[in-house]
Amino acid sequence: MNTRHQPLYAYLLAALVMVGLSYGLPLLLPGDYIEAVYGSSQVVLDAEQEAQLRQELGGRKGFAAHLWGLVTLDWGHSLALQTPVSRLVLEALPWTLLLLGTAHLLALVLGFIAGVEAAWRRGGRLEKAGVGGATMLQGVPEIGSGVLLLLLFAYHLGWFPAGGATTAYAELSGGPWLLDVLHHLALPLLTLVLAYLPGNFLLTRAGMVMILGSPYLETARAKGLPPLRVRYVHAARNALLPVLTRFGLRLAFMITGALVVETIFAYPGLGTLLFTAIGSRDLPVIQAVVLLAALLMLLINLGLALLHRRLDPRIGHAL
Amino acid sequence: MPSEFNRIRRDPWLTVGLLLLLLLAGLSLLGPLLTPHDPHDMSFMPLSTPSAQHWLGVNDGGMDIYSELVHSLRNTLWFGLLAGVCGLLLGATGGLAAAWYGGWLDQLLMRLADIILALPAILVLILLAAFFRPDPAWLALTLAALAWPNSAKVIRAQALGLKNQLHLQAARRMGASVGYLLRRHLLPELFPLYLVALAAKIRMAVFMEATLAFLGLFDPARKSLGMMISYALKYYYLEIWPYWLLPPIICLTLLIMGATFLAVSLEKFFDPRLREL
Repeated sequence: MNTRHQPLYAYLLAALVMVGLSYGLPLLLPGDYIEAVYGSSQVVLDAEQEAQLRQELGGRKGFAAHLWGLVTLDWGHSLALQTPVSRLVLEALPWTLLLLGTAHLLALVLGFIAGVEAAWRRGGRLEKAGVGGATMLQGVPEIGSGVLLLLLFAYHLGWFPAGGATTAYAELSGGPWLLDVLHHLALPLLTLVLAYLPGNFLLTRAGMVMILGSPYLETARAKGLPPLRVRYVHAARNALLPVLTRFGLRLAFMITGALVVETIFAYPGLGTLLFTAIGSRDLPVIQAVVLLAALLMLLINLGLALLHRRLDPRIGHAL
Repeated sequence: MPSEFNRIRRDPWLTVGLLLLLLLAGLSLLGPLLTPHDPHDMSFMPLSTPSAQHWLGVNDGGMDIYSELVHSLRNTLWFGLLAGVCGLLLGATGGLAAAWYGGWLDQLLMRLADIILALPAILVLILLAAFFRPDPAWLALTLAALAWPNSAKVIRAQALGLKNQLHLQAARRMGASVGYLLRRHLLPELFPLYLVALAAKIRMAVFMEATLAFLGLFDPARKSLGMMISYALKYYYLEIWPYWLLPPIICLTLLIMGATFLAVSLEKFFDPRLREL
């Protein structure tokens, strides 16, 4: 199993590539930026607006100015909504973080515990069923499971709302508000957990099965330590590392699924914002969402690499 | 290796995966023969339910849904195969070249691989697709260019081991050319690795294609499963929805399942990284 992370500088260079793309690609568009953008969008400008826009966006910014704009949250204006891009993105970001953060946490904890327990009972019927079921689930894309869950639980049974993150105009606060948020979160969360859990489960189980044969566990058991302690403190600790590495390696893949899930459930996060922006060809918004998502992802990966170094002293000097 | 081929043939995941993929490939190739309709023909009664003429009914634009499905499946498979095969070719070339020549070429390729591995491929594709609306084939090739490092690293590691084995050293001493060694020894002897990489890449590419299509990043005239799902979802309140929405979902799920089972099964038997553990 490849437990090695990318070297640290790779993240920095990758971030530079993303910033460079977001700066350079618009320059490659045929003709004037405004012409190229509005020519294919649904927004129609009159002569006056066009002149004003040209004045606003007129001089192409240099790369340094572009960078400074990124840092100071000056990400331009949405063409379709006429609002600053930074406001749209910052409004959407917390919902995405809530959805993805909870999904990953749940999938990690549940998958890990299930994997450890399955490995402990290897050869049993329950373990075989778990491995089979998880392999099946791995083949179900979020588009499929998400739409089916939406149809069944929101449209057909009506147990959960079909969209949004809160009930509009309900003006709730405190406990009821939290319940409302969870109620809206449930279906997209379930879809994502179903997508993330099987991989974590299978990898933990595989790692644990290898570890369970090692002599140091024999020692731990011979010392008379309680089984739970042997299982989690001694053995599972070493099965956690590959799971973390895989998380980093698959983060880009997971973002792909998250975009779709947010769109299916009309969850007001970055994915839905991106979807709407693509629909109206709102290039500044697309640009900002893509860049922000990429930089966040790289940051998380960098954090994981550092964490990995802390957890596994063996690879400290190899990075 | 032969014993592994014998064992893997009995693996049910492999059988089911292959069957699923063959079934869907067959449907995409032979499907058009069974229906006379052009998927772009808009002359039918919009939103009519299934009939002998239209097996799955007609969509909101007056197009036959079954023909749409078959063509979507074909487009998705084509995208997956193109991205997968090209990604594998790049990965194998990069991995073998890095292992064989070593030195600065190895350094350069592997540092490049590190950076590309850190890049989120889907976001690059979204950016490119949104700005330039390129031909899907170009997106598939871009995806291949972003997906090669994984297999390049695995293939490089294995090729390094192979390079120092006795029979290769003997062949070298006898004056075999680099081309000959690569063609006759390194390429064929690493064969199972290519299968593992190909299955994983096709799975990823199909998933990406469906996502890009669902998000509306392809030309709307290009039929695809993701786009069908995204459109059909808007009409769930009409009688037609099960015939319109469920078939593309089922096809897409079966396609990704097939590729997943193949990848899982091949990895189990041939992936040297797993065998080390």
